[in-house]
Amino acid sequence: MVARHTEKRPPFLWYVAFGISSLLAGVLVLLLAYKVWNGPGVWGNNQPVGWGWPIVNFVWWVGIGHAGTLISAILFLFRQRWRTSINRSAEAMTLFAVICALIWPTFHVGRVWVVYWMMPIPNQMEMWPQWKSPLMWDVFAVSSYFIVSLIFWYVGLVPDLATIRDRASGWRKKILGFFSLGWTGANRHWRNYEKAYLLLAALATPLVLSVHSVVSFDFAISILPGWHTTIFPPYFVAGAIFSGFAMVLTLLVIARKVYEIEDLITIDHLEKMNIIILLTGTIVGFAYITEFFMAWYSGVEYEQYAFLNRATGPYWWAYWIMMSCNLISPQLFWFKKLRRSIPVMFVLSIVVNIGMWFERFVITVTSLHRDFLPSSWGYFDATWVDVWMFIGSIGLFLTLFLIFLRFVPMVALAEGKGVTPAADPHFYHEEGDGHAAEVPYVQPAEEQHEGPHHVDEDDGDGEKE
Amino acid sequence: MANGAPRSSLAAWLVDPLAPTRSGAEENYRFTGPTSAWLAPVGLGAALLILSLVGWAIAPKTFFFSYLVGWTFCLTISLGALYFLFFHHLTKASWHIVVRRIAEHLAWGFPLLAVLGIPLFAFGMHDLYHWTHAELYTPGSAGYDPIIAGKRAYLNTPFFYARLVLYFGAWTYISHRLYTVSVRHDVRTDYDSPIKLRTVSAWGLPVTAITTAFASYDLLMSLAPHWFSTIFGVYFFAGAAFAVFAVLVLAAALLQKGGGLLTHAITAEHYHDLGKWMFGFTVFWAYIAFSQYMLYWYGGIPEETVWFRHRLEHGWGWHSAMLLILHFIVPFVVLLPRWTKRIVPVLSVMAVWFLVMHWFDLHWVAMPSMGEGTESGYVHGGFHWLNFTTWLGLAGIYFGAVIWRMHRHPLVPQNDPRLEESLAFENV
Repeated sequence: MVARHTEKRPPFLWYVAFGISSLLAGVLVLLLAYKVWNGPGVWGNNQPVGWGWPIVNFVWWVGIGHAGTLISAILFLFRQRWRTSINRSAEAMTLFAVICALIWPTFHVGRVWVVYWMMPIPNQMEMWPQWKSPLMWDVFAVSSYFIVSLIFWYVGLVPDLATIRDRASGWRKKILGFFSLGWTGANRHWRNYEKAYLLLAALATPLVLSVHSVVSFDFAISILPGWHTTIFPPYFVAGAIFSGFAMVLTLLVIARKVYEIEDLITIDHLEKMNIIILLTGTIVGFAYITEFFMAWYSGVEYEQYAFLNRATGPYWWAYWIMMSCNLISPQLFWFKKLRRSIPVMFVLSIVVNIGMWFERFVITVTSLHRDFLPSSWGYFDATWVDVWMFIGSIGLFLTLFLIFLRFVPMVALAEGKGVTPAADPHFYHEEGDGHAAEVPYVQPAEEQHEGPHHVDEDDGDGEKE
Repeated sequence: MANGAPRSSLAAWLVDPLAPTRSGAEENYRFTGPTSAWLAPVGLGAALLILSLVGWAIAPKTFFFSYLVGWTFCLTISLGALYFLFFHHLTKASWHIVVRRIAEHLAWGFPLLAVLGIPLFAFGMHDLYHWTHAELYTPGSAGYDPIIAGKRAYLNTPFFYARLVLYFGAWTYISHRLYTVSVRHDVRTDYDSPIKLRTVSAWGLPVTAITTAFASYDLLMSLAPHWFSTIFGVYFFAGAAFAVFAVLVLAAALLQKGGGLLTHAITAEHYHDLGKWMFGFTVFWAYIAFSQYMLYWYGGIPEETVWFRHRLEHGWGWHSAMLLILHFIVPFVVLLPRWTKRIVPVLSVMAVWFLVMHWFDLHWVAMPSMGEGTESGYVHGGFHWLNFTTWLGLAGIYFGAVIWRMHRHPLVPQNDPRLEESLAFENV
């Protein structure tokens, strides 16, 4: 069921979606060239607001990437078996979101051709990066995050690539044979594999928490009212999980329908994700209240003004969009009926991501545009380049995600088999006679695919390669 | 009988609102220690507290600060147990069912703690909380403090009391539900019990989270009323979670060692997972503590860094360094390998270590604020004998009550539908 979607021609919708999203990705590439040629002035950034949409988009994309690692690493450590059917696509999403995120720190600098100066490379100038800047920490946090996520995802893929290799023929078999690294599924392979996977999960967990904490330090280490606050590290991480899960939900609700894998990604999976959205959404809401209370309690007039300005200043609309999308809308998930309704969760998952984009916008822009000196108060307006680059990054993300859906098993096959009831050593014992008599018989995984050319009846239209 | 809960007296209700149910329990799940096992810690605790009364006469301020630290130590363990139960019920985790009853006994600590807190808040307000001093609020007087006066809407004694009553009311109600529904389920099977417990946990979690944060601002942060930190509530929570897993390990190990109870119920597999949680919360605590410190150090804004400055000077620098080494690095290294978490004596030693460190952490948070409002503005680092007598005295009474409750009820929720799953748990 899962392997087949990589083998047959994708549905018509796939071509439509791929066409649109690759077009948008093309827009992004053109605009990047346009920006590098003309300079960052093509964006709406101005003197008080030096950080505009690029940083907002960066934090937003990094945040979205976090759910993937949470699902694959943290839920693995907690032995949450429901993660198995969603972890593969969530990890792919992480990688693509991090790629989209990395565009911004690279290109929002004025001189993109010297970004390599941020690397500690011995050079003829004897100049080194400044290690006290969290923007430097970002370089290392996000790039190591990308590398570890990639390795983690790839290690998980090896047995599955071997499965589809065994089903393929011709040049396709050769390519898959190369990427599956000669995996045979021997006992010894599996023992080492499980250990490596556990270690990677244990390493990825502190990494994911630290990455978004480091991103939050970009703001929190400054002395700006509205930025300088100690709750940012855990609160940013919670927000990242919140928006990341929402994005996973948006994509999976569509993918499970189009690819008819509703039996693998069931409504129970979606409900559990909604519960995590509710939990993290409430944590985020709690952090909003804490910040507001502390701003008053601090007795610092700048701090008090910063928060008053958020709620009633020129950007009041952004603040109230953020509050209603992030604090109020996830509370609907308290109701089981809404939690299990696909249209409701689809709409809410998009609402959450809009809200989380505005959260970063509110934090960045409202704190910058009015701070200590009233003479340097300004207003930030986005230009068409800001808007279309952001839309283009969504196009790039979807392009990569669609390529993934086309060529890679979107559900972890090997792990999925491991959690079927038939894989439990106690499954047959409980009936007493060594046969699963009264339990609905589930075909053992090994028997399902007997050979490379095994084709089911309903697969008639699938073109074999 | 068990569900009727004949309350012989208010005092009995404070310690255990239910009639004994242990007679229905399997032998292995029955507390078999001497009936008076609870008397030893309570007696010792009372003796230490009476000794501390002498300290009250000699050094009232030190007495109240030490008492607050000891009292908060017990409070955080009850709060940590409450969080443990919330997560247990909400995630439908099965492995920790075998230690759930211990957490339930710990969670029903709030009524007793409310009583033990009376001396603190009836007599100690003036010594503890600088913001209670009237002269701060009189414009024109020598002691007028516009910053504190600006916080008067929040920091005033009647509202402070009202908030404490609210917190304790909420915690008591929630823990009463979690405790009684679960214990009654042992003797009278009520098929709705798991759902009831889940419902209480679902709304209890956000309520407890908010009240915990504000309680931490009231009890500890307002000791230094000029200072503020948004992460402080999370820091307080991290300490609570850090401590409760240590108590669970220690209680399980003592029950097994002392009476040979719970054999085959709590196994190395369970200790391993508890050890992982201990490890996880050492790291979490360090993450939160470091974030708070680093961001204030980096910003260097005077009104914020002063709090850490008081904790790096006048002898407190050693405390801060020890906190880093002993509260984070040592537990991190020791609990990292697999085997240390599976060998009960090793893990028990670490559990004791954790509890001492948790107390030390609270000591470090509270004591340097003793100088608030005095001429010099600081106190010297180090320890006073009152620090220990009040802490151990209160802990003795608190844990004595826990033992008393253990002796009255089965040690595991023996009718739980998934108990078997928990007994067979293995780390795969």
